[in-house]
Amino acid sequence: MRNTLALISLTLLAHTAAAQDPGKSVPSAAKQGGSPNIHMLGHVEVHSGAWKAADIEMEQDPNRPYVYVCGFVNFDTKIYDVRDPAHPKLVYTWTIENPELHRGIGAMDGKYFKIGDHYYYAQSLQFMQGSPDANLGAVILDVTGLPDASKVKEVARIYYGTPGGFHNTFAYKHSDGRVLYFATVNQPVALVYDLAKVVSGADSSTWLIGKVPNPTPFKALGAGGYHDFYVGYDPGTHQDKFYGAGLGGYSVFDVTHPETPKQLFTITGFGMDIAHTFTPSPDGHYAVTETEYQYTPLRIWDLTDGQSGKKANLDLAMGAWTADWHDLSHNHEVRWPFVFVSAYEDGLQVFDLKDPKHPKTDGHYFTCLCKHEDGFGGNPDNGWKTATDAPSVEQGAFGVDIRNRDGLVVISDMRTGLWLFKMDGFNGWNGHTYGMPNISSVQDYDHGPEGASTATGSGGH
Amino acid sequence: MIKRFSAALLAATLAGGPYDITLLPTPSAPAAQGTARLVSAPSPFGIAVSPDGHARYDIVLRITGLPAPSTLGAYHAYVAWAVTPDLKDWTRLGVVSNGDSHVGVAQYNKFLLVVTAEATADPTERGGPTVLHGTSPSGWLQTFLAHPFFRGAPGK
Repeated sequence: MRNTLALISLTLLAHTAAAQDPGKSVPSAAKQGGSPNIHMLGHVEVHSGAWKAADIEMEQDPNRPYVYVCGFVNFDTKIYDVRDPAHPKLVYTWTIENPELHRGIGAMDGKYFKIGDHYYYAQSLQFMQGSPDANLGAVILDVTGLPDASKVKEVARIYYGTPGGFHNTFAYKHSDGRVLYFATVNQPVALVYDLAKVVSGADSSTWLIGKVPNPTPFKALGAGGYHDFYVGYDPGTHQDKFYGAGLGGYSVFDVTHPETPKQLFTITGFGMDIAHTFTPSPDGHYAVTETEYQYTPLRIWDLTDGQSGKKANLDLAMGAWTADWHDLSHNHEVRWPFVFVSAYEDGLQVFDLKDPKHPKTDGHYFTCLCKHEDGFGGNPDNGWKTATDAPSVEQGAFGVDIRNRDGLVVISDMRTGLWLFKMDGFNGWNGHTYGMPNISSVQDYDHGPEGASTATGSGGH
Repeated sequence: MIKRFSAALLAATLAGGPYDITLLPTPSAPAAQGTARLVSAPSPFGIAVSPDGHARYDIVLRITGLPAPSTLGAYHAYVAWAVTPDLKDWTRLGVVSNGDSHVGVAQYNKFLLVVTAEATADPTERGGPTVLHGTSPSGWLQTFLAHPFFRGAPGK
């Protein structure tokens, strides 16, 4: 039996070595091109192998044209200067030490943040049990000195007691002035770190200040961790709110006092156990959610009854949107009324919620250039390739980010790397233009969230 | 992404027996491959342990596909190491080559087995590129309650 397994392993390894880079060869049947209103400005492959990127992050300040591409199974971060969007310039690469000895999906999510006059970047990491750094969640770089690579310094590493690291993260300028870092972990909680303590060299036992429980564990799977979240200020109620997506469903917490989160309401129901992403509108009235399985659409929710306390759980979506029902759309960024989607095999997609019950597609650009259902899976020993009887659509556009000041859109594609776009008529975003609070995933690190009277610019206690 | 990762980890966890280590290649020697078997070190008793209670193993490596060390640079031998998971402690186990090689003794609770190209057969510190690596079966053991993520997901 062991010999048989060894033979199979050797065969898979040989196949991997001989396989072509799917990012370089475009299948004839692959979706290509885009709608006339989406303009592709630039493209960089980022890595040479089959898997090129996970999530992506873009700085917002006018004098800092930097984009961070998470290197996924390449275990690195690449920082690009995109002041010329047609020619992104690689200015810095961070890589885990001894990458060849590590195993896992590696560099997954990145968030930049600012404390005082310093800019930082937090790279989340996921290594498997048995691998070095299995309990390493994130590496924090001081990137103030960019584009001078010699001035980039690693200032901290965040470890947590369970193996598997951090999958998704969110950096949030809290209304109390602190800069917080929310992180998923392999437990049914989201961790909350005080980043000022992390970067200041304070005793690491003081970094973790809170845990947000997941009230909707997926009992059939025996698991209940969060997968992703959004944190935003609600100027109507003067609360900092956590919108979490985890195994079992979605939940909203008041994290005005992050040390003692208070549950507000949940979203659970049929088909929503593998809850993945949860993003509200700037006013918290509506939300877009994703569940991570093929054929499922993004769902649109009216959160009114949950936010008001009328209902403890919502279970009926008001609308849905999909790029192609054969596939699966992944992460998204809401810039009301637009929703920018990194839609895996369907690349960049943009739809709007001008009529939330009837979302309308506004534009697209295909970035995966891949064979349908040839996505991520398997294991590190076979190059993360799925078996033929277990097709995966988890390939293509993984992450998306928007630069609010000018409307630049960036996509990180698992198969093809970094892409830069502009959409006709979208030259930046400010919520006030649409009668909304100017609140999105973009943080105002100097002034704190709009409408919060207690915000400070200090970045921490 | 969660489901795929979990399934992959489950598959990896189930690979090999409780005394077997699959050796994986690196870009330095992509054609190399092999296995290693943990064999209880000689002992007058039923099992060999160190004075502080760690199991002591000799290791039999079965390797194919290693190129001549000199093809990788100024190297003349391949050396096996037992390495703690934090990569801080590297214990030289012995020289290996294609075919069967017996090295030892490893006496960590959990460790990585790493083969590197070296300038000499008896380096005191690892200096050259890694060509093969694997994880001791004990490295997969963690507290179950601490990591539901790794239990795997239902198949499609």
